[in-house]
Amino acid sequence: MIKFQNVSYAHNKGYGVSNLNMDIPDGEFAFLIGPTGSGKTTLMRLVYFDLFPDTGHVMVNGFFSNKISKRQIPKARKSIGMVFQDYKLLSDRTLFENISLPLHVLGFKTKEINSRVEEALDLVGLVGKEDHFSYELSGGEQQRACLARAIIKEPDVILADEPTGNLDPVASFELVRLLETINETGTTILMASHNYSLIKGRGKPIYELKDGILRVR
Amino acid sequence: MNKIIYLFREGLINIWRHKMTGLTAILSLSISLYIIGLLSLGEGNTYKILQYFRSKYKIEVFFNQEVGNEEAVGIIHKIKKIKGIRNVTIIEKEDAIRIFKDQFGEDIIDVLGYNPLPVSAVVNLERNKKESIRVEPIIKSIRKINQINEIKYQGNLISKIERNFKKVTDRLPIISFSITIIALLIIYNTIKLSIYSRKESIKTLQLIGASRLFIKLPFIIEGVLLGLLSIVIVIPSLLLTVEALNYFISNYSTFSITLGVDLSIFLKLFLMTTFITFFGSFRASSRFLK
Repeated sequence: MIKFQNVSYAHNKGYGVSNLNMDIPDGEFAFLIGPTGSGKTTLMRLVYFDLFPDTGHVMVNGFFSNKISKRQIPKARKSIGMVFQDYKLLSDRTLFENISLPLHVLGFKTKEINSRVEEALDLVGLVGKEDHFSYELSGGEQQRACLARAIIKEPDVILADEPTGNLDPVASFELVRLLETINETGTTILMASHNYSLIKGRGKPIYELKDGILRVR
Repeated sequence: MNKIIYLFREGLINIWRHKMTGLTAILSLSISLYIIGLLSLGEGNTYKILQYFRSKYKIEVFFNQEVGNEEAVGIIHKIKKIKGIRNVTIIEKEDAIRIFKDQFGEDIIDVLGYNPLPVSAVVNLERNKKESIRVEPIIKSIRKINQINEIKYQGNLISKIERNFKKVTDRLPIISFSITIIALLIIYNTIKLSIYSRKESIKTLQLIGASRLFIKLPFIIEGVLLGLLSIVIVIPSLLLTVEALNYFISNYSTFSITLGVDLSIFLKLFLMTTFITFFGSFRASSRFLK
């Protein structure tokens, strides 16, 4: 569950978000749209406690931005899977090592890691590419790898910040389909995008951010 | 357990990823540790050399002509009581004739018709005292004893050696401490570089929920491993150095000293290295991992 209550945040240069109120219940798939610079990434960072509101508070999976301690942040992030526009895959590691990283963080056993990675690769269609390095994969493959890394720990929430930003229309469509499949298992998803045509007509709530102000579309 | 194995492997991989930085750190650390090891070995052996010089140093005390062998024994007992003296050996009149004959090839009785050589004694200094021995007070004390005619000794040579020994041992802790600080800075900067070069990876790890400790540990392990690899180089190097020095002393010098190796120095070196590399990498990772 993600809840924003009267949240405002201003960056040093002045831009940010203002008086946001949003409620995404468990298991929902919500879209966040808005032009570049509208505050989508700021909102996402507030969700994974990389930024903290100047006023109001954010609640994610029972963690409150106004109460969370520095030590608790990793714990909160363990229940959140993240997909980034720039993938953030580690270039000196293979696909297998990248995807298994969250499981090592959680202290999983090797056997369990192997089977989970296999499942995740199967889900995102990257079986057979385990030993490839990120620079040996296409943009779409890297984004699917990023998604596999996000889902492997079976998070309660997945945040996808412009995941289709660097992808062609076909790959973008496939990725959204994949996210929908994951959502069917009960995972809450918040996906930010500036591509309205990609998300319209899917029967999901759409939040629109414009100049830091949020409204439901 | 899985986590620990993974983090340990990450530490090893970190070293492999930054081979050149790691190699530079290992070499610099090895040089620092080698110097510290040499100083420690030197400290132990300087004392041994000092003992050697003390054992070779002798004071010759000649008694008055009228002193007979029996009276000399009584005087010798008084000399023995002086602080800093290990033993006193009497050279009776008869021994003196024999020594004279050994040195000059003639019997002094045949030459002069009587024995003019007095009873004398050879005084040896205490060898095992940690504090330095000063000869002048010993000579003064001997002079105060009646029936002593002449005292011959090798000047202040032993005092000079003692003074230099003290100078060296006094400075050793300061030098060792300075080099330890250098070693600490080497490891600190190596880990700092390692952290900077992995900034992106660290950010990714933070975002996927890795704790501070999880991110820090591979860097700490990397630092400690660099130290241990240096130790692997340093210990054989020190042993070889001592072997080489012993070879030169026995073949190219007149000294009959064998330099020893106190194995506890290696244990101390190992513990010190583990501590400074742990501390250095811990400080660096705490400071630069925000």
